[in-house]
Amino acid sequence: MIAEETLVQELQQEESRAKAFEVLVNTYKERLYWHIRRIVLDHDDTDDVLQNTFIKVYRNIEKFKGDSKLYSWMYRIATNESLTFLKQKSRKMGISDQELKDRMVENLQADVYFEGDEIQLKLQKALATLPDKQKLVFTMKYFQEMKYTDISEALDTSVGALKASYHLAVKKIETYLKEN
Amino acid sequence: MKEDKKNSFNTPEGYFESFNDRLMDRIQKEKAQEGGSIIPKTDGFAVPVGYFNEVTPTVLSKINTKKTKVIPLKTNRRFYYGVAAVAAIFILMFSLIWESNPEPISFDDLANAEIEAYFENTDLEMTSYEIAEVVSLEEIELNDILDNDLEDDIIMEYLDENVDDIEELNLEDIDYE
Repeated sequence: MIAEETLVQELQQEESRAKAFEVLVNTYKERLYWHIRRIVLDHDDTDDVLQNTFIKVYRNIEKFKGDSKLYSWMYRIATNESLTFLKQKSRKMGISDQELKDRMVENLQADVYFEGDEIQLKLQKALATLPDKQKLVFTMKYFQEMKYTDISEALDTSVGALKASYHLAVKKIETYLKEN
Repeated sequence: MKEDKKNSFNTPEGYFESFNDRLMDRIQKEKAQEGGSIIPKTDGFAVPVGYFNEVTPTVLSKINTKKTKVIPLKTNRRFYYGVAAVAAIFILMFSLIWESNPEPISFDDLANAEIEAYFENTDLEMTSYEIAEVVSLEEIELNDILDNDLEDDIIMEYLDENVDDIEELNLEDIDYE
């Protein structure tokens, strides 16, 4: 795999950008896909947001100064794009953010790309009750197995606060699963 | 109490009937303890076959087609939207103040519901964050456009009831610099 610094240099130079961008997409598409999918839940919506994320990355790559890791920076863009997408969707449908989250989970039962059983559906219901940040921290840590330092860069939150959020999220989900 | 004829040992009544259930309960509990949690390890999402092979060419084709159209406006787009929004607000306020406007149809002829419906249904392509960035509260006080003064305790009550996470109120810079 190509070193991140080399990739960034190639992305920031006009002549090598196109080729380097292809490498970037191939390297990160799966990780970003799963990150977005766990926020927007539907495959087609995820596909839209993933493409927008890469387009934003391409347009803003010159502004990337290397203060954080490239992939934390892309996670940040993907997170913002996903949350903005959901906000726009709820506005267009004329429903509240929470109502949209509930409907998204209901739609999973008929989704051909959701193969979860009853407990996994309950897990999604539990996740829908959490505030956005707690849900993000939980999925990034539990399912994507990211390090707290990387999540900290991506979400621009201290490691201490993340640990507290994660702990709280686990407790809430466990309580939900036990009670329902 | 039942008696075992060969061994002369007794078992509590219903012991063997309920044995399976108790055993399964125990196994479930141990499983949960081993994993440290009852939360499932996978979340059940799947992707269409071949999706990850198709997504790269799709993204690359969008980059090539969008590049020439979008880049020239990139840096100033927000600024233009901002200027347009501020101009629209000033025009709106002036038309409210000067009621002597000789136009046959004035702003007052519009029902509030129509104006609200316009803002509700029209995609202004600006998020509330972007509007907040260009129109500061110092320039336009909320109380200028409200019939009743907005007291602090009403605001606090609203935030308490409607905001899950107070950190969400922090404006985040999404300029990706």
